[in-house]
Amino acid sequence: MSAEFMPLVPTAMLGTDREAASPLIWPGEVGQLTAQLLQAQVSDDGAATRVLRVAAVLASCSIAGAHGAEWTDPLPDAARDETLAAADDGSLPALLAWALQHSSAHLHFEVCLLLARAGRRLPEALLPQALELGRRSTHLRLALASVIGERGVWLATQREDWSFAAGVSVEADIETRWSDGSFEQRIALLHEERASAPDAMRARLVASMDDMSAKERAAFAALLVERISMNDEPLLERLRADRSRDVRQAALDLLLRLPDAAHVQRAITRMAPLLQQERALLRKRWVIDAPAAPGADWKDANLDTPRPKNDSLGERAWWLYQLVRQVPLTWWTRHVGMTAVELLEWAGKTDWSEALWRGWRDVLFAAPDAEWCDAFLDHWPAPLPARDRDTVLGLLPAASRERHWLTRLRDDRESVAAVVSQAIAVCAAGESLSLAMSTAFADGLSERVSRGQIDDYTLRPALTALAATLHPDLLDRIADWPRSGSETPAFLDVMHDVTQIIAVRRALRTLTTPRRS
Amino acid sequence: MTLTAEAILALAPDDASAKAARGLLAPAKWPLLGASDAAVWGECSGSGAKPYQTQVDLAGPSFNCSCPSRKFPCKHGLALLLLRAQEAQRFSAAEPPAWVTEWLVSRAEKAQRKEERQSEKVATPVDPHASARRETQRWTRIETAAQELQRWLADQIGRGFGTLNSAVLQTWHTMAARMVDAQAPGLGTRVREAAAGVHQGDDWPAQTLRRLGMLQLLCEAVSRRATLSPDVQADLRGAVGWPHDQADVLADGEWVVDRWTVLGCVVEERADKLAERRVWLHGERSGRRAWLLEHAFGGRGFETAWLPGSGVSATMAFFPGASGLRALAADIVGPAALPRWPVEPLHDEWLRIARRVALCPWTSTHPLVVRDAVPLRRGSAFLVVAEGRALPLAIGEPDAWRLHAIAGGHPLQLMGEWDGQRFAALTAWRDDTGGAVWTRSAT
Repeated sequence: MSAEFMPLVPTAMLGTDREAASPLIWPGEVGQLTAQLLQAQVSDDGAATRVLRVAAVLASCSIAGAHGAEWTDPLPDAARDETLAAADDGSLPALLAWALQHSSAHLHFEVCLLLARAGRRLPEALLPQALELGRRSTHLRLALASVIGERGVWLATQREDWSFAAGVSVEADIETRWSDGSFEQRIALLHEERASAPDAMRARLVASMDDMSAKERAAFAALLVERISMNDEPLLERLRADRSRDVRQAALDLLLRLPDAAHVQRAITRMAPLLQQERALLRKRWVIDAPAAPGADWKDANLDTPRPKNDSLGERAWWLYQLVRQVPLTWWTRHVGMTAVELLEWAGKTDWSEALWRGWRDVLFAAPDAEWCDAFLDHWPAPLPARDRDTVLGLLPAASRERHWLTRLRDDRESVAAVVSQAIAVCAAGESLSLAMSTAFADGLSERVSRGQIDDYTLRPALTALAATLHPDLLDRIADWPRSGSETPAFLDVMHDVTQIIAVRRALRTLTTPRRS
Repeated sequence: MTLTAEAILALAPDDASAKAARGLLAPAKWPLLGASDAAVWGECSGSGAKPYQTQVDLAGPSFNCSCPSRKFPCKHGLALLLLRAQEAQRFSAAEPPAWVTEWLVSRAEKAQRKEERQSEKVATPVDPHASARRETQRWTRIETAAQELQRWLADQIGRGFGTLNSAVLQTWHTMAARMVDAQAPGLGTRVREAAAGVHQGDDWPAQTLRRLGMLQLLCEAVSRRATLSPDVQADLRGAVGWPHDQADVLADGEWVVDRWTVLGCVVEERADKLAERRVWLHGERSGRRAWLLEHAFGGRGFETAWLPGSGVSATMAFFPGASGLRALAADIVGPAALPRWPVEPLHDEWLRIARRVALCPWTSTHPLVVRDAVPLRRGSAFLVVAEGRALPLAIGEPDAWRLHAIAGGHPLQLMGEWDGQRFAALTAWRDDTGGAVWTRSAT
């Protein structure tokens, strides 16, 4: 603010034609000078000129004498000393800056994972960018937490929408991290504890459950998937009755992994009478019927999900779908003595095919099973959305997943664009494609790159995503791809990004953990 | 001193050039790469059969390329320096080819010729009467314009700011144009700035008074020009927008040979694709501060790079005037070296500014070094606190957060531009012999 001008402002606003600028007093020598000017009676000087002269004096003196405002408050706490070394070797900061600003979520994850593996943290200058990414992507937050260092934790306290990363010092003891840590720090803590002491982790959850938000209960409960056992059943039974729908669903999904759990056994008991074997001439065949009415215990069994108004399933089919969703897939293969493929085909011949397929798909998403994944992928039921295929592919272990793509590439060389898009869509954060898969893609694309003409609109963006997911051993080969001298501007842009991604990934792989002095 | 990738990309005339330069880092693009103490060079495969011959004179650095690009430096020059910074081992050739040697020799010859021309100009007699007549005519026009402006200023204060609306403000722009017509563009610019500040911020009436007050001071100085000292007259001439001829500055200006630490450098986009670059220097032996002001049109970029946090041995030719800030780089010797930052306490910095304002009140921007400054955030505003004083920080939010992250609530050394109210930080450093840890990005 320009406090020294304030006495003049009323006159300036109203105009000297209506309001005279006197008497006005400023302290000290400046005041004496301005008083002289205001009282000067030079023949051709009007009141306006006198005001302007005073303004000129104040403007000059205020810049000459300005030295900021007085500050008497104590300075806020500064960031703690770092325990991790910054990744500031050579050109790495510039590459990391590019990666955070321009590249995909997949590379962001890899940056975080490889930095964490090398015991390094992001350089300070990149922290605002990194926290901003975390603000936009909740998935990235956990990975970011391990590489922002003490400075990042401190910086996160300075801005409300970065508070997800605030929490406590990364070096704090486990109880402090649990009681005062950010959501991401608590997730990381539970994750670690579940891996080393599953019972302790469960006990921690049980003890704090009443103080948690629904979001926390759902997210923390999902961590029970690691090393799940019948010891977790009582907690899951409790969560199955939670007031939050997300928490209830998380518990039901986890119970599908415990075939001996009482809830699952009850679901099987409900399902079994609907599935009958009948004799047709010399053969026996399985037939299925849908429930005629909901059971009295359905509400307690979480089977009361109302049917959406425009759902393609009728009412009875909807009830059957609800029942199927609670029965583990292994029960079906064991009970009817059919493989997953045979079951999918059998379902197609029944009146309740869509209810069965949808139910099995949901169970597959909750408790993945390789045989069922393969069966679905090889015999995709038409009523199910095609986008679910990518999800099913993503459930498979990488090797099994890639078998599908390699077969397709071998049979149809022109399918490379489609397969690349699929492969990168399901490649989980922090994972890379296998060497065999990467080689197949590189072979499929190198000729097109050397021509300098990637004219496929889907392949161009896929090429950069591919560079971020390729097996690390292939990076050198991609970097040396022969290039045409007549590349189109669009292609040049793509290859620029590819070059940068490769440079980032190579640089991160050379990072070593510095020795602490 | 090795340039960092960040510093090199800061030399790019625009984002597109920086991006294009990064796209040229593939090994296959550069069949030839070489370096010596004085220069780096390379051949870059382009769309034609013959590769582009790109070279950078490390004293500066200064760029040259055989490509047809109008941008300066071009993407090839930037890529060459980036490669040098990132993969120095690829610069295997040590003996410069003929095209490099020829360019370096031609640069040396050009500098020599420039010096000779300068000497010739000094030796060549000009018609003093004609020159004085032209000067008198221009001053007469400026004086007439200043009188008209003074009457107009009084009218505005007489009517009051309460009557200002878009129609009235249009007349301010008309007045600004009249000042330009009267060969006093500096006055016109100040009128336009005053118009732009009306209704902006809570204290706009006070700010408008401040701006009109300074205009009044300028107008009165023009009318009493004959009574002023030659130095103040020279400052006045600059303030009304009549620049001193650079050749005259080189010929007649005060020459200061020193090792200059680049305190800060900022490039700002002005209207009509005009880029303005302000470079602030500190002479290590002389203790002088120097201000280089340059303009470039249409993304052409600037020939010489000034990297904040580097030390440059150079001769500065100072413009005439009491403020003693504005200068031209007359001669740069050798590549950039480590800096020697100024270590004066804040009190001395304030004293420098007060003295400068006393000598030349129209200096609107002052270099300010604030030692042991802690960047803070108070509400939505950014501040720096040092020695019990708080200065409002006037930089964009991304730059402010980056500075905040680098400082982490700990003190560091800052240099920036001070206008009496706000501190536009340009550079931060920690150690007095180390490089910059933060620089403000171009706007």
